[in-house]
Parts: sequence; structure tokens; C-alpha cells
Amino acid sequence: MPDWHAIVRARIGAIPVDPARESDIFDELAQHVAEHYADLVANGTPEDRAMDAALAPLADRARVRLAIARADRPRPSTPTPPAHGTSLIADLSADVRYAIRLLRRSPAFTAVALLTLAIGVGVNTATFSVLHAVLLRPLPFAQPSRLVMLGERAASGHASQVGYATFVDWKARTRSFDDLAIVRDWSATIAAAGEPRRVSGLRVSANYFRLLGVRPAIGRDFTAAEDDPAHWRVLILSDALWRRQFGADPSVVGRVVNIGDRDYTVVGVMPSGFDDLIGAHYYRPVEAWSLLGYDTSLSYACRTCQHLRGVGRLRAGATVASAASDLHQLHEQLRREHPADYPLQSDVTVEPLRSGIAGDVSGALALLMGAVALVLLIACANVANLLLARMGARAADLGLRAALGAGRSRIVRQLMTENAVIALAGGLGGVALTAAAMSGMTALAPEAVTRIARFRVDAPVLAFSAVVSMATAMVFGLLPALRAARVDLRSTIHGGGRIAGSGRAARLLLVGGEVALAVVLLIGAALTLQSVGRLLRVDPGFSSDGVLTLRTAMLGSAYATPEPVVAKTAQMLDRIRAVPGVASAAAASQVPLGGDGDRFGFHIQERPSSNPADDSSVERYGVTPDYFDVMRIPLLRGRLFTDADRSTAEMALIVSQHTARALFAGDDPLGKHVKIGGLEGPWHTIVGVVGDVRHADVGAGTDLEMYTCQWQVADSFLTIVVRGETAVPGDVTRALRSAAPDLPIYDVAPLRELLARSIAPQRFVMTLLAIFGAIALLLTAVGVYGVIASTIAERTREIGIRMALGAGPARVVRTVAGEGCAVVAAGVAAGLLLAGAAASWLRHDLYGISPTDPATLAFIALTVAAVAALAHAAPVLRAVRVDPSMALRHD
Amino acid sequence: MSGENDLRKGSAELLILALLEERDRHGYELAKLIEDRSAGAIVFHVATLYPLLYRLERRGVINGRWVEKPGTRRRRFYRLTAEGQNVLRAQRRSWRAFFAALNRVARLRHA
Repeated sequence: MPDWHAIVRARIGAIPVDPARESDIFDELAQHVAEHYADLVANGTPEDRAMDAALAPLADRARVRLAIARADRPRPSTPTPPAHGTSLIADLSADVRYAIRLLRRSPAFTAVALLTLAIGVGVNTATFSVLHAVLLRPLPFAQPSRLVMLGERAASGHASQVGYATFVDWKARTRSFDDLAIVRDWSATIAAAGEPRRVSGLRVSANYFRLLGVRPAIGRDFTAAEDDPAHWRVLILSDALWRRQFGADPSVVGRVVNIGDRDYTVVGVMPSGFDDLIGAHYYRPVEAWSLLGYDTSLSYACRTCQHLRGVGRLRAGATVASAASDLHQLHEQLRREHPADYPLQSDVTVEPLRSGIAGDVSGALALLMGAVALVLLIACANVANLLLARMGARAADLGLRAALGAGRSRIVRQLMTENAVIALAGGLGGVALTAAAMSGMTALAPEAVTRIARFRVDAPVLAFSAVVSMATAMVFGLLPALRAARVDLRSTIHGGGRIAGSGRAARLLLVGGEVALAVVLLIGAALTLQSVGRLLRVDPGFSSDGVLTLRTAMLGSAYATPEPVVAKTAQMLDRIRAVPGVASAAAASQVPLGGDGDRFGFHIQERPSSNPADDSSVERYGVTPDYFDVMRIPLLRGRLFTDADRSTAEMALIVSQHTARALFAGDDPLGKHVKIGGLEGPWHTIVGVVGDVRHADVGAGTDLEMYTCQWQVADSFLTIVVRGETAVPGDVTRALRSAAPDLPIYDVAPLRELLARSIAPQRFVMTLLAIFGAIALLLTAVGVYGVIASTIAERTREIGIRMALGAGPARVVRTVAGEGCAVVAAGVAAGLLLAGAAASWLRHDLYGISPTDPATLAFIALTVAAVAALAHAAPVLRAVRVDPSMALRHD
Repeated sequence: MSGENDLRKGSAELLILALLEERDRHGYELAKLIEDRSAGAIVFHVATLYPLLYRLERRGVINGRWVEKPGTRRRRFYRLTAEGQNVLRAQRRSWRAFFAALNRVARLRHA
């Protein structure tokens, strides 16, 4: 007698059910096969043939296994809805558990909903983390909201620099501040073991740290007695400099450090967390502080010697506005007292420290927050659509609950709990996505942003994403929940478990809405993309290709007079020109787009004005003669500098074309005489006119520019520009070092990088907007597909009837796609209107393109329409292939 | 997929429930009875019969239990439940109506 159990088991293989049950099943099947075999043998079939015949039905083992497992597996019966509890907490926890069970039962729905929400919440959390870091996180000072930057008003509206004598009057006369401090940028070359290092520093008034509310971790603060021209050479180090240059020596206080041939005494070290955000260069932390040590007798302490920046702590009760008005009145008073020192249009500005530091990024961040809010809304629309589609399947369950006596509010509450569970899970996913994207965001962000902002997922960011997630649950969940509660649930038990129509109209409306939002977002992204593209193509007026820049500074007693500066400049350039691959080399006091500024009053002898303080100020570049050749700045009229332009000769001046036009009003500038800066200096003669360059950033308009010759006006801070495609930066640096072993060399970078840096904020916004736009388009495509596919599935019966009645495929396509296309078209139209309304908001962030650029609007409208049409394709094709006989049987 | 196959599937439930109405039976017995009484027109083999039985059992229409007699292999007998009797009644009604309709339309037998 064969072991039928073993034979059947071997035939079929493991059945995915409980092992005890599996054994029972094999027993039963074995019993059947055995009796069949016995019957066959009894009827005269040979044993081997009988065996084959009895086992033949089990030949298709995979199908048998599947059929049995499917039939036998306890149907994932709808989890029993939680009982109608008495306590809210018990209800809530039961609802949460029920919701989790339900979600686990429909993994496809859960995965799509969670992924959609994770993306929506993720982009919001990521953007918020930037916004929070830049605009909201407390600055590392005591009561930072009362700190302001003050100065004379710059053209940009921001606080600009101020002269020392003005500051002294402010401090004596204003009533709005507890205290005022003043700072100037300071570049120190610390000669320690090995090569000289340039250190970025600040010279500050003695009360500076007390005003900020910080104190050194080691040693002491500055004292007022030290803050005068005779005693100011004392030094406080940053923690980083102390570790790097002094090996974290705890006995560093009292050490004498040589800076630029002068001795400074170290008196303190700041704590490691202290980051002096007031330092001039966002991307170079302040590493050393010394005292300002001015008094009003110094020539550079005059009112027009504007090179200092004021920091104030508002008195209790004073606001930024009241302080500004106070300072404005004071300024009017000073102008009456010293009319020659203050131009008529001049004014003063008080601005909160944070905007003084973060500058213009707040607008861009607001724009990005708006963009991600749109992405989140689109994600919500998608999830709402999924929920509405799912309501059909949920109807029987909800109907049962209603039949068992659950009130509508109880059912809405349960559904909202489910939504909250979905939203929180999606939110967690979003936070995980954000954490993963952090390093990428940091790499993308411009230095001005990362300098103040270390992006991280911290408590406020987590709180934000929790709030966003819960708000999201309300947005995407309320409509489906209310809908479910409104239909007659009792009837749905009998009606085959569908909620009539499943809110098709609501779902089409949602799709239209998300198409509109996607259009708005994509138009914003496309405009920004083109704007940055145009910025990149702006001719800056010089050629940066193959140009290397290096910076150096000639400081100290050895360079106290012009002669050694001129001689060293010439020597450095000669060495560099000898490096293989170098075509030409020059030096300049600053380069365009380098982030520096050096404006001088421009007083024309032939066009005198009643008040020289009202004369225009012009950006000055001190250059060696080869500069124009290296930078490829064209000579338009007259001549360039030559090596004959030495200090003994007539002082030569070259102006840019814009300066020639704007300040000479049709006169020929060549041969005219100009004093630059104050009126006490020598006359310069204009010898040439050259092309304009973009000075501050490529998007700004053309500035007034002029050039002095390094051989005549010797600048100590120099940027060396080297042209040579094949020159190796290391070779150039070595040549420079051999010519000037006593000088620091820093900021070695291709000139191209300066250009890139000047548009880094726009590029950051553009990249993020492009990413958000792509996500929005994808989510919208998924949303359109989902809704169209499910509405067509619901209409299968109708389509079948139409086809049975003789409708051809073309007619069917028109019928089923018509509705979707109308919705998409309406969405696109609404999106265009919204984008038009939002245009004024975007205008300031665009360069060279109108926010209502017709080509862009048309392109985006067509793109979104095309993607939406593509999302229609698969469901519509399925509709055309409907078999009328099947469709009619479809319940 | 042929119409005949569909028809057979739809009718299988009716056949099994009807046979169990008479008395409790085991799987092989059900298969044999259906084949015999339909004169070989309807054949259920092991791979289709048992999934159907399990499905019916899960729906609470029939109820299976193991019966062991000395000297024989243990067998699983199925019994119609009260719910099953209701289902059978409903099925008989609808099949009767269906046949009447077919007959009116297609004249399956002479009136």
C-alpha cells in the first residue's frame, strides 16, 4: 500500500498555511486519491496506470497549491471595528489600533499614501530647517532681538559704513540705546612658525563684547583704558585660532604675538561656540579681535572717512522704528552743523542684526516656503483622492458601524484618527527624507546662508513637521470623512458595499486643483531657471576664462611707504610671468564680483558743484598696467596705463564708459582733471576710457568705475590676476611665495568661481525650485492617473453598454477622456490665472524675464497638459479594450 | 475561458449543497456521486473539489469534521449548516428562475 500522504505532499509541495492545517489537508487529499486509485484498480485498471490517473489532477502543482491556499486562508476578514467605548482615551487608542490594522491590510494604498505624504512633508521640513536656521534660530548673543546694526544708509537701504566722528556724536547724543559699539574689518598677518598666515579679524570698541553679552572663556575682556591710539594693541583670539596657532595653550594669556611687525599682547580667548556673525565676510569666520583705538584727532577718524560699522543695543522700550527716527533727527542736526560732510540725500539706517547679517535671503526663503506649501497641497490632494477612492471599499464596514449605532460624529472621529495615523507615519517618513537630504542641501546652499545656518533636524524642526503633518491630515482627510458620514450608510450594506459615485465630482475637482497648483509652481521654477540662465549669460565686461586669482597683503613697517609696495608688486609679477604657461599677470586692489568695495568721491575740476559732499562716488580699482590685458577689458578711447605712469609724472586716471557718460554729460572726459576722495589730494588727469565691468553682482546695473595706477597710488591689499590656460596654480603660488616669503597668500581660486559665487543664492533657489517643480509634476501625474483610472473602472459597465450599442473606440475615448481633459484644461487655466496673480511677488527675484513671460506660460501649460494627457493614456486604452459581454456582467 | 466552464463553476456549489442536504458525506463520495448522477457530464477532480469545499466551509455554509473508524483511514465528513440550508434554498430559487427564463427564451424543452 503506497504512502499516499507522502506522495501527495511530494506532488504538491508546501502549502502556505498553518503546518497542522497543512497536514490535515494532505490527509484529506491523500484519502481522496487513495480511494480513486482503489476504485480504478478494482475496475481492472493496471496499478501503474491507476496511479497515474489518480495523481493526474495534481499535475499543475502551482495552481493546486494556490487554489487551496487561497480557498483555505482565513479571508482577511475586516478587522472588527472598535467597540463604542465610553472614554475618549479608550476610543482613541482603539481607533489608532484599528487604523494601523486597516493600513497593514492594504499595503498598496498605505505605501502610496505614505510616500506621497513623506515627500510633501519632507520638502517642507527641509525648507523650514533652512528658514529656521537663517531667520528664526536665536543668534549667539544675549537678547539678540534688541541688537541692531546702524550706519549711514547705503543705496541698497541696508546700513552702510560710518565715520568715527559721526559715531562719537551718535553715542553722546542718542537716547534710544543702552550702548553703542563700533567695529572695523581687520586683516592681520600672524607670523608664527612656518609661513605667514592671514587671519580675518575685527577691530572693535572696548565695550563690544559686553554689548553683545558674551565674554572670553580664558583671560579677560578689553578695557576702556586700552581703547586709545597708544594702547590698543591687545588681542583676543577665537577658540579655533587658539587651537590651531597656539596649540590650545592654556597659558596663552600674556603671550606677545607679532602681527605686521607690531607686538600685540594676548589678553583672552573666546569660548568655542562663539561665532562672530558681525564679521565682514560671511564665508570667513572672525579669528581675532583687537581694539579700534581711535580718537577724533586721527585723520582717518573724520566724518567722511566712512569705514566703520555701528552696533547698538536698544534701550528697554525702544523699538527699531523709534531708534531709527531718533537717529534720523540726530543726523539732520549733524548735517546742519557740518554741511560739507553730509550729502543732501544722505540718511541713516537702523536694522535688526539678523537682517543685517542674513541680508536678502529672506525673500528667497519665503518664495521657497511658498513653493513647498504648493507641493504639500498637491500631495494632500493626491491622498484625499486615494481616500475617496477607498471609501467605496470602506462603505460596508462603515455601514455596519452605523447599523450598530455609531453616530456620524463618532464615525468622522474614527476616520480622522485613521487620517492622523497616516499623516504621522508620512510625517516621520518626511523627517527621514529631510535628514537624508541635509548634506545635499548644505552643499547646494550659498555660503552667505551656510555661514549663519548649520542645517539640522532639531526640536523646532521636528515640531514644525509634526504640526504640518497634523494640518495635512485635516486638509486631505476632512473631505473624505465628511463625505463618508453624509451618505446613507445603512443602505450601503445592501448595495454591494459601494458609496454611490464615490465622490467622483469631488475627486475631479481635486485633480483640477492640483493641476492648477502644479502649473503655478512650475511656472515659478521655469521663470527662475531662465532668470539664472540669463544671469549666467550676462557679459560681466571681462573674461574670466583661464584666469587665476590669488590675494596677498603687504602689511607692517616694511611696507609703510609706497616705494617698497611698488617694488614688491613689480617683483611678484615678474616672478609669476616667468612661470611656464602664464601668458600675462597683473595686480589690482580689487577685482569685479570679488565682494569688495572701494568708493571715492569724484570731484571734477571743470564741473564744480556747490557742495562737494554731493558729488558722486565712484568705485576705484588700483591696477598695474597689464590689468586690462589680463582681464580683457577693452580700451575705448585714449590710452591705458604704462610703466611711465610713475609718481613723479602726472597722476593718470582711467574711467569706465558709464562714468564718462554719466558724470561728463556729453563733454569729452579725456584731459579733464579730477580729485578723488577728499579735496586735499592731488589732481588726476583722465587719460583713457575703458569698457564697463559688473562690480557688485552680475544682476545689478552698471556701476560707476575708475582706475588708478598701482605705480602712483600704491595699494597694499592686492589680488593678483594671472592669465594662462596651462599654468598650474601650485607653480604660480610657489613663484609668488619665492618672491614674497614674508607675505600671506590666500583665496587662490579661478576668477570663474567669483562669478559663480555672485549668483550662488539665485542658483540655490533655482535648483530647489526645479526639484520641487519636478516633484509637483510627478505627484500631479500620479494623481491624474489614479483618478482617471478609477473613474473609468467605475464606468466600465457604461462603456460596455455604449460599445454593445455600437459605439466605436473613438467614441469611447471621447466619452471617457473628455471629462478628464476638461478637468485638466480647467486646472491649467486656473493655474495660469493664479500665476498671473502671483507675478508681482516674483518680479523682484527675476532677472531679465517678465513674470508673465508668454513663452514660459505657454510652455508650462502645454507641458502640464501633455503630462496629464499621458497619465490618461493607460486607463483610456483599457477602456477601449473593454469586452462588452464582461462589462455587462460586472456588478 | 469557455462558457461551459463558468456554468459548471456556478452550479458546483448547488450540486454539493444539494448532496449534503441528503446526509453528511466525505470529499471522494461527493465527487463520485456528482460524476455518477450526471452520467459523467460533470466531473470534479481533487484539484477543484477541495478548494471549493474549503471556501464553503469558511463561509460557514458547510462544516467539516474528522471521523475515525477502527481499521479504516480517517475521513473528513461535511455537513450542511443552518446557514447552508438557507443558501441552498436561495440557490434553488434562483436556478429555477434562471432555467425558466432560459426556457422561455431558448425553448430548452417542449412546454
